[in-house]
Amino acid sequence: MKINSAFVEKVLTRFIHDELAKFGFTKGVLGLSGGLDSAVCAVLAARALGEKNVLALILPYGTAFPADIKDAIGLARTLGIRTKRIDITPQVDAYFRRYPTKSRLLKGNKMARERMSILYDFSAREKALILGTSNKTELLIGYGTIHGDMACAINPMGDLYKTQIRELGAYLGVPGRILNKQPTAGLWPGQTDEGEIGNTYAEIDAVLFELADQRKSRSEIIAEGFKAEVVDKVISLIKGSEFKRKLPPIAKISSRTVGHDFLYPYDWDK
Amino acid sequence: MKAVLVQMAPRLGDIKTNLNRHLEFLDRARKDKADLVVFPELSLTGYSLKDLVPDAALDAAHSPVFKEILAAGRGMSVVVGFVEERDSERGLFYNSAAFLADGKVLHVHRKVFLPTFGMFEEGKFFAQGRNFRPFKAPFGKTGLMICRDFLQYGSSYLLFAGGAEVLIVISAAPGRGVAGPGGFETSHMWELMGEAMSYFSTAFVLYCNRTGSEDGVTFAGGSFIYSPKGERLARASDLDEEVLSCEFDMGLVRQVRKKWTFKRDERPEIILHSLERIVRRYED
Repeated sequence: MKINSAFVEKVLTRFIHDELAKFGFTKGVLGLSGGLDSAVCAVLAARALGEKNVLALILPYGTAFPADIKDAIGLARTLGIRTKRIDITPQVDAYFRRYPTKSRLLKGNKMARERMSILYDFSAREKALILGTSNKTELLIGYGTIHGDMACAINPMGDLYKTQIRELGAYLGVPGRILNKQPTAGLWPGQTDEGEIGNTYAEIDAVLFELADQRKSRSEIIAEGFKAEVVDKVISLIKGSEFKRKLPPIAKISSRTVGHDFLYPYDWDK
Repeated sequence: MKAVLVQMAPRLGDIKTNLNRHLEFLDRARKDKADLVVFPELSLTGYSLKDLVPDAALDAAHSPVFKEILAAGRGMSVVVGFVEERDSERGLFYNSAAFLADGKVLHVHRKVFLPTFGMFEEGKFFAQGRNFRPFKAPFGKTGLMICRDFLQYGSSYLLFAGGAEVLIVISAAPGRGVAGPGGFETSHMWELMGEAMSYFSTAFVLYCNRTGSEDGVTFAGGSFIYSPKGERLARASDLDEEVLSCEFDMGLVRQVRKKWTFKRDERPEIILHSLERIVRRYED
């Protein structure tokens, strides 16, 4: 679970730089929330591409999280990256006026997809690729909105657990305020990831590491002293979210089908 | 004897660009008075080709690409990695390494052990080689391996038993694991293998890995050379493109084999006898 942060920084900054270069881009755009993951991604992007080549979109819904906006702006200023603040309230509210709901989850998903839609629009306007900020914990347990915050052009963060991102963030000099903040998807005031999932990231990551990285079985992990209910919950979250990690299945009827046996590298002709 | 390992990042599927870079590196190596220039696995094509494999295939005997490399490499020995499809075996594609010297293709090794598990899918796209055969290079008897070949127990042994004094491994090894103090944990594994195999074989081990990334995978670099007594002579950086140049004395093989008599005491007939017994008794 420990990482060599200096080496990881080197690999990831190179990855960001080279991936963009391959596709003919010099600029990157990302959503900056004021939380840890996007802060770490912003630092890596600034170092990989140069601060002038990074655009951070700050996309709040109303004024529910003033501290996060302040932290996002403060970090961007320290890094010297460009920012643009766009309030997503009008379009989100307009939709829910027509199709009202009491579900905070539906509202949260809609907000995530509005942000995605703005990121892709600015990706085209600015000729900048979208840097994803979903971490390995979120990807494995499916704690993210499909086609929302999970959408991106490249994801430098996706093979690092939340606890590893905190370690990397500390090494990179992410401000303590952001580093020690309670992780939240910002779905509603007072919401925290750990409160919503019901376990701490430390607990979840430890189980995920055993399951995914060490490829241990449920019984082996429980025998090591992990609580059965936590292990079972994590396994069920992983299984229940596989659809978020794959392109949708295509019904195969021909002899060569996209997604089945039409197999070209992502970097084709790049 | 001066060996040059070209730790480079080929461009995926772009033979023309890669060929031009090979020619530039060869030009530099010639000015550097190199005797041997080694390029990484699939250096002419890049690694993650998938369904592009047939489009990237070459026949070393007839390809104009090889004519240009032969011309640029005149006076030196050159190892390049490529997708091989011989005119006599059309439709079979191999992950191959060609050894060029004296203006001709002296030897071609086809990768035997094609990793097909987890992130690797070579067995899906390549035909399997069937041989480990040392050959006489200008500087001494030499054996070629490609990446995973080197991690399989028997490969180096067969080349050693066949008399190789130099083992050349070309590689496109992705880096994995970042918990260790140095670079990727897998790079450490390759070095351990290099050290052990150079000792076991009392032979030089030259390992040329690539760098760069394809489809999110970062290739680890970290090319190295070990002497016949398990001593690391040179090591390239972890992630950067680098031309690793190293001079060594081929006379060291004789010197070491006077002290460590592994080669003299080797009994391939006993190994063969035991293997025959094992293979005959194979059961499901």
